Amino acid sequence: MAAICFYFQVHQPYRLKNYSFFKIGKDHAYEATAQNVEILNRVSDLCYLPANAMMYRLIQENEGRFKITYSITGTCIEQLHRHRPDVIDSFRRLAETGCVEFLSETYYHSLASLYSPTEFVRQVKLHEKAMLNILGVKTKVFRNTELMYQNGLADLLDEMGYKMVLAEGGRKFLGSESTNQIFQSKNEKTKVLPRNFILSDDIAFRFSDPTWSEYPLLADTFASWLHKVEDPNGCINLFMDYETFGEHRKQETGIFDFMKHLPKQILKDKKAHFATPSDLLKIKKTKPPVYDSPAWSSWADADKDASAWTEDHMQRDALRKIYALEPVVLKLGKPDILDVWGKLQTSDHFYYMSTRYRNDATHQSFTPYNSPYDAYLNFMNVLSDFQGILKAGS
Amino acid sequence: MARTKVLMLGWEFPPVLTGGLGTACYGLVKALSKYADVQLIIPQADRNQTLENVRIKGLNYYGITGEQSIELPEVPLEEYAKVTKVPAEFSNPYPVGIGFAKEAKALVSPEAIRALYSTSEPYGPNIMQKVATYAEVVSRMALEMDFDVIHAHDWITYPAAVKIKEMTGKPLVVHVHSLETDRVGEKAKGDWNKVYEVEFKGMSKADRVIPVSRYTQDCAMAHYNIPEEKFYPVHNAIDPAETFRIPNNSGEKLVLFLGRVTFQKGPEFMVETAWKLLQVYPNVLFFVAGVGDMMDELKKKVLERKIDHKFVFAGFLSKSNVKKVLAQADVYFMPSVSEPFGLSALEAAQFDVPCVISKQSGVAEVLPNALNADFWDTESFANYIYGLLNYEGIREDMISKTRKDIAQLTWDDSARDVMEVYESLGV
Repeated sequence: MAAICFYFQVHQPYRLKNYSFFKIGKDHAYEATAQNVEILNRVSDLCYLPANAMMYRLIQENEGRFKITYSITGTCIEQLHRHRPDVIDSFRRLAETGCVEFLSETYYHSLASLYSPTEFVRQVKLHEKAMLNILGVKTKVFRNTELMYQNGLADLLDEMGYKMVLAEGGRKFLGSESTNQIFQSKNEKTKVLPRNFILSDDIAFRFSDPTWSEYPLLADTFASWLHKVEDPNGCINLFMDYETFGEHRKQETGIFDFMKHLPKQILKDKKAHFATPSDLLKIKKTKPPVYDSPAWSSWADADKDASAWTEDHMQRDALRKIYALEPVVLKLGKPDILDVWGKLQTSDHFYYMSTRYRNDATHQSFTPYNSPYDAYLNFMNVLSDFQGILKAGS
Repeated sequence: MARTKVLMLGWEFPPVLTGGLGTACYGLVKALSKYADVQLIIPQADRNQTLENVRIKGLNYYGITGEQSIELPEVPLEEYAKVTKVPAEFSNPYPVGIGFAKEAKALVSPEAIRALYSTSEPYGPNIMQKVATYAEVVSRMALEMDFDVIHAHDWITYPAAVKIKEMTGKPLVVHVHSLETDRVGEKAKGDWNKVYEVEFKGMSKADRVIPVSRYTQDCAMAHYNIPEEKFYPVHNAIDPAETFRIPNNSGEKLVLFLGRVTFQKGPEFMVETAWKLLQVYPNVLFFVAGVGDMMDELKKKVLERKIDHKFVFAGFLSKSNVKKVLAQADVYFMPSVSEPFGLSALEAAQFDVPCVISKQSGVAEVLPNALNADFWDTESFANYIYGLLNYEGIREDMISKTRKDIAQLTWDDSARDVMEVYESLGV
């Protein structure tokens, strides 16, 4: 049967504090530090620590046959490094098992790939460095913010030496080809792993939905669905937020119990095996089908595009203004200025400004604001202050 | 099935308008006439005008044979408003002290009754006499009329409505456009406030209460202790209208305050907001259109804060002048302490003016794409106005989304909701 590729996204942004226009020009500290630490502690205790412990045990129990993959954003690993060294240690232990792969992404979980190739490269390199310095791992495979992908991204990745990238699944991008296999980019230089969004979302979203026909989902049922995929060269890509365990789906939903039993149930089939993206990279296939996405795709919302970040006037205005600062920021070349600029690029800020998805449950669970308008105005006030600093410095 | 026959008791009605009550009553009656037979009794009707399918009786014609009933023609509301004469001394359209007025006896002679209601002042110092007379006369008229349900708008008509219910046993629906607790705050609950008592009695005796917002329902439940099951909130709406923009070449941005300058509308919070905003952003003018008992205090406060050069007091504006101001405004600002609905915010929104309104307002429920803050939170108000005047991204999003919100608000929907209330009474 096909290989099973579990990948978990680990991310925490630097949320902005309530920054009214009075503070412009007077207050240069933008972060909601107490709130950020509070959320980091909560998620560490509910998710990162218990989930890491569970994954570690599963790897031990299954004697190396269970493998998983993580991508941890720079903004998250930085906060964990500062406030939760215990979580960093538990990730290091996972790294040492040899059964865990860590991926590359933009340090600031940004949309730089859409707006500035130079900045994109800077952030990916920054992230590579952080992963090496903090976790001691070398990253080989790339995943972009929110799994955003567009045909042109493959050229950039190729230049940077990446041979594989993760992306969203769906007929729009895969045509009539099966989801459960390795694809390649249009320029044929990069392998593309498409997310099996049905099976992934069964765990990430539908798991705790009592109105779902498969509720309550048990590990043996889910394993039996995976067993049906026979292609020995194929792969079933189960990509989701790591916070699914204990934060988005609370412990009481049984999500940990489900995961605890899953590897054993899957490995009951002797042909079943787990793989990381780098393992999959070793599979030789003469001509994989082409993953084609002329416009930006993503794993978000029903439309699987970038609209949740870029559709509104507010979002476009804020994005245009933040990336317009690039020449000045680079000219000044100060590390602290570059860092503030990077943090302001974190995609979450723009996600909070989405009016279209304002009443969407997923959006609402993430945003610290009462409305997308509040998100925009707060960001713009901060940006005004930052613009002032740049002006004074240049 | 026979159409429901509604005895509608109103007070303000075009061309007599001082606030949202008459506008809302007109919009609802007009839409309702499609589904029900409406007979409307108001203190003062204009005999030269009729409204299709609605029989309108004005007490200003009381006792004149064959002249009690007049039909109003279908004329756009703004046409009515244009002919409204606002006397110069009309400085307080809704006397806030009404609740503390002396009780009055009803007049009996037809001449005196006609004279009582033949003024351009719908309230005035003799308001209690107007209310008492209305109750007497209208309840007598009702005995000779054929109807299934009584529908009364605001406290001034409640004594008549309760009396009719007691005499005929017909079900009573009271429509709450505003409460004394909105107008004067907590002191409405003092023993001596008669308006509060009238409202309490009206809502208590009513079979159904229609508040113009969920906010007003909450107020009625909190301040009058009316049980929740009586309430059927129905939002006001706005008819589509032709709007326009006039370029503002003054170089200063225009923030518009439109409404009575009374405690209820929060003028002091406007001054605080303006003061905070002006310290950072001086390029703005506050335009105050309206009059009221807090006008002098407002002017005093503006002087004290040394921001009088940033304020324009335009007084009471005719409907057409209001439109001209809306066409130039950059922000509509309504910091009301307690606003049951706030129709003027809908008018502003219709003119593509982004709205900054207090959370204590019913209109916020139908304008999800307006910006709102608690009425005392002047820092947030100032922050919103600053953002709207400085950051280009937000205006277009608010305006385009608000257009869709407004398109969904029709008087026809409100009328259907009211019909459901009647149906729930089995009429």
